[in-house]
Amino acid sequence: MRTADTREPARPHGVRRRVQPGKVLIYLVLSFWAVTTVYPFLWVIMNSFKVKGLIRSDSFSVPTGDSFTLDNYKTAFDRVDISGAYKNSLVISAAVTVVVVLLAGFAAYGMARYQFRGRNALHSLIIASMMFPVFSTIIPVFRMMFGWHIVNTNSVALSQLSVILPQIAGNLSFAIVVLMGFIRGLPIDLEEAAYLEGYNIYQIFFKVIVPIAKPSFATVAIFTFLWSYNDLFTQMFFLRYKDAFTITRLLNEITSIAGVNYGLMAAAVVLVVVPVLVVYVFLQKNIIKGMTAGAIKG
Amino acid sequence: MNSTIYKKKSPLAVFLIPAFLFMALFLYYPFAMNIYNSFCNITGLGTAAEGFNSPWYLNYGKLFQDPIMNTALFNTMLLMILTIIFQVGIALLLALLIDNIKKGTQFFRTVYFFPIVISATALGLLFNLIFLYDGGMVNQLLLKFGVTDMIDWKDEAHFLFTMMTPVMWQYVGFYFVIIVTGLNNISPDIYEAAEIDGASGFNRVRYISLPLLHNVLITCLILAVTGALKVFDLPWVMMGAGMPMDQSWLTGTYMYNQTFTMGDVDYGSTIAIVIVVIGVVVSQAANRIFKEKDY
Amino acid sequence: MKRITAFILTMALGSAMLAGCQSTPAASQAASQAPSSEAAKPVEITVVTSYGGDDGNRANYEAAYKAYETATGNTVKDASGTSNEEWKAKIMADFETGAEPDVLFYFNGVDANKLVQGGKVVSIDEIRKTYPDYASNMTDDRLGASPADGKNYSVPVNGYWEGLFINKKVLKDCGVEVPGADYTWDQFLKDCETIKSKGITPIACSLQEVPHYWFEYCIFNHGTPATHPKLPASSTDEVGKAWAEGLNDIKTLYTKGYFPKNTTTATDAETFQLMADDKAAFAIDGSWKIGWFQENAKSIDDFTVTYVPGENGRKSTDIIGGLSMGYYITQKAWSDPAKQKACVDFVKAMTTDEVVSTFGATAVTALKNGTIAKSDTDSLEQAAMAMTKGATGITPATQDGLIQTARTALFADIKNIATGKTTAEKAIDACLAIKS
Repeated sequence: MRTADTREPARPHGVRRRVQPGKVLIYLVLSFWAVTTVYPFLWVIMNSFKVKGLIRSDSFSVPTGDSFTLDNYKTAFDRVDISGAYKNSLVISAAVTVVVVLLAGFAAYGMARYQFRGRNALHSLIIASMMFPVFSTIIPVFRMMFGWHIVNTNSVALSQLSVILPQIAGNLSFAIVVLMGFIRGLPIDLEEAAYLEGYNIYQIFFKVIVPIAKPSFATVAIFTFLWSYNDLFTQMFFLRYKDAFTITRLLNEITSIAGVNYGLMAAAVVLVVVPVLVVYVFLQKNIIKGMTAGAIKG
Repeated sequence: MNSTIYKKKSPLAVFLIPAFLFMALFLYYPFAMNIYNSFCNITGLGTAAEGFNSPWYLNYGKLFQDPIMNTALFNTMLLMILTIIFQVGIALLLALLIDNIKKGTQFFRTVYFFPIVISATALGLLFNLIFLYDGGMVNQLLLKFGVTDMIDWKDEAHFLFTMMTPVMWQYVGFYFVIIVTGLNNISPDIYEAAEIDGASGFNRVRYISLPLLHNVLITCLILAVTGALKVFDLPWVMMGAGMPMDQSWLTGTYMYNQTFTMGDVDYGSTIAIVIVVIGVVVSQAANRIFKEKDY
Repeated sequence: MKRITAFILTMALGSAMLAGCQSTPAASQAASQAPSSEAAKPVEITVVTSYGGDDGNRANYEAAYKAYETATGNTVKDASGTSNEEWKAKIMADFETGAEPDVLFYFNGVDANKLVQGGKVVSIDEIRKTYPDYASNMTDDRLGASPADGKNYSVPVNGYWEGLFINKKVLKDCGVEVPGADYTWDQFLKDCETIKSKGITPIACSLQEVPHYWFEYCIFNHGTPATHPKLPASSTDEVGKAWAEGLNDIKTLYTKGYFPKNTTTATDAETFQLMADDKAAFAIDGSWKIGWFQENAKSIDDFTVTYVPGENGRKSTDIIGGLSMGYYITQKAWSDPAKQKACVDFVKAMTTDEVVSTFGATAVTALKNGTIAKSDTDSLEQAAMAMTKGATGITPATQDGLIQTARTALFADIKNIATGKTTAEKAIDACLAIKS
């Protein structure tokens, strides 16, 4: 989404304003990939409206007439308190996202711009922690937090906290790595200019780095939100009671048994995915806005 | 990096400590426990160790004699290579193409993101129905073309294709988003200047986009390497426990299987350590080879 | 190289740190509440069961505990989950840290050994000293004694059985009689051959994913109800030989081509779909599978369930079944005077004849008076009830005596035995060598 190309320099040959074969090819390639990514999504939506039992025998057709049903959604809504679960999901994922973006931004900036002893060791540590399988860290974390008296309590807020903390840690390393890559790619001149203007280091971070790298921060925020939202494993472990369930946890409960009711499963997937897509599209717009805001004025 | 701004080191503490404190508590300490566990004898997840193994390095010996571990490592390495070539490659291509058009960019960006959003369970189900032996989409198509001998897409001749394709496809969108963000960070002024100098099309990509994407591509490379070692959910849903005949194990699925379905927690911990060590070694090597540029 | 060294150093530091953290005895921190002044005061008890989410009995369970809440004024804090390995791990971690529930509905086999050995749960004898009528509506030797010390700890609800599910429509098309109580293994093999010659898969089973039931019955066919629950010490002792012969029976079925073509790559769900699509004739599974047939069969009357064909010392009417789960009262709740009675009342309320009967009428039961039959049963449920009533012997599954690691390893090897990659003896010895 660049805003260039408003004045095209005249070229010695070739007439403008004609459909170029190159462009057609580009659109063809892009559309082909779009088909592969849209189809599964449509498939899930279609099957969520299908009568039970049809999905396996006929999962690739459009549900019309007799095979169309709203039962799957009815079942999902009857069984569970969906709005409360959305709220819990939102609280957890939003908290995780805000903290991760802030702390990872700090750490990435420090790692990218400073030279210090032990930087390489720290870098290795960050890479390593990206690969710690959650399956092997969850039990010690559970014991540690039990010692702090924040797991297995009756309080919804504490249950949420017990999911938020490990999720923050789990997403930090990825966010730091990605943000480091982005911040390294920024020319340092702006920071130097700001420094000469008399900005201190924290002002440079908030008033120079963050505005320029806004799209990068937004990208990291999107991924963090998404992973926190979809991270079933941690939620399964720490959310014990219904009133603290997140939407992912709740719908998993519905679809986990027997796994033969694919229609219900598809409906559950749709209910989980739609809010995320809304958030994504909304943030996308923000990225565009961030784009048009150029460099800072000294 | 010889800027005077960053000579004073005191703000570093403020920048680094909060993040590393979190990671120390919730990642490094539990993982240290994990290392300790790999020398112990643990009979069930969630239960305490019953003392050390004898000999203490028992699990590490087992690791080298375990044929399934070899399979898992081989498949994971293959996945890593394929990931770098296809996932990052296709993502880069798509990102550069999108950079060349004006209409519909918003649409493409949104839909390319879909596969990351839909849960692996649902995608696994979808791909299972596509590759199903009895009445799957591909086999139904083959029937239409008059092929009567059904292909078992999960047998020993086809499983690699069946397992790798969905994994490849799912994460292209992920790298695509990162690369597009990197492209967005390139200031339009640079392109305008280039345009005035008469650089366009391929030259623009070669002399401006790619060099400026260098750091972002390194990041993608590291993410691809670490991601391949950890990949779990889609293969687990599709290929279950290493079907066919224990040929399709990956390090991620094998570790999970040892820890949860076998309940061999200490051996699972050992595999987790191998995953981390390999990941660090490979990504450091990649870092060396493609030396990051600082400005 | 410097970076690697740095990394290793950091890791070593981490381990040193950990040594310092080792001294927190988590289990000793069990929070004991001060005894309340009045035992009659309503209390809240925490309960964990496997009746989570969409379990077939979830609604029955909720109705039962709500009735208890109304009757006693106590409240139930329910943290039920779905019974799988993660659920088990979570429960074990709870007991380790002292965060266990007051009442637990859990397996009574080797899975609970740690709880019994650690003194974390209270035996029924102990409870009866204070509450003599505890579990008095049950037959004691059916309660499912702990393999750890042979004592009873849990009060079961509904049990399970394993039987041969049959697609009658396929049998009719192939001109094969629907088997009855006197059906033998040899007849079964003949029928499989007939069905196969008609181009239909005789047995729906995924050797890759769920060989459990065929393993159980093929081994049973080389033993008797009395010897079946015993575990071998090696592949060469009497039980070990029976195991090897049983496993080789599976190999025979495989080499004759009676399993689905893709039995080593199919999931259990795919193979059972063959039953629903009239593409397979036989399948062995447990009582919980009835719900699947009710949900997926075009017509439930096309299906029936009967005894698995027997040979040697096993009569066909000897079945695998039992009571594998039950309600435990934890030591923590028992030693809390405020909660003790509430927990006992809760378990009693959840295991009355009426409540147990709602939880699955076809199943094996420990009730002295048997379950109260439902009035609206379909033909498959009726067949199941007839089968359990006519059983000449009921024996628990031998695989339940194996620890999880060994069991999983053995089942993973079954496909290798069938395809000839390993031998039955090797697989048995490898499984028995796994001690932890």
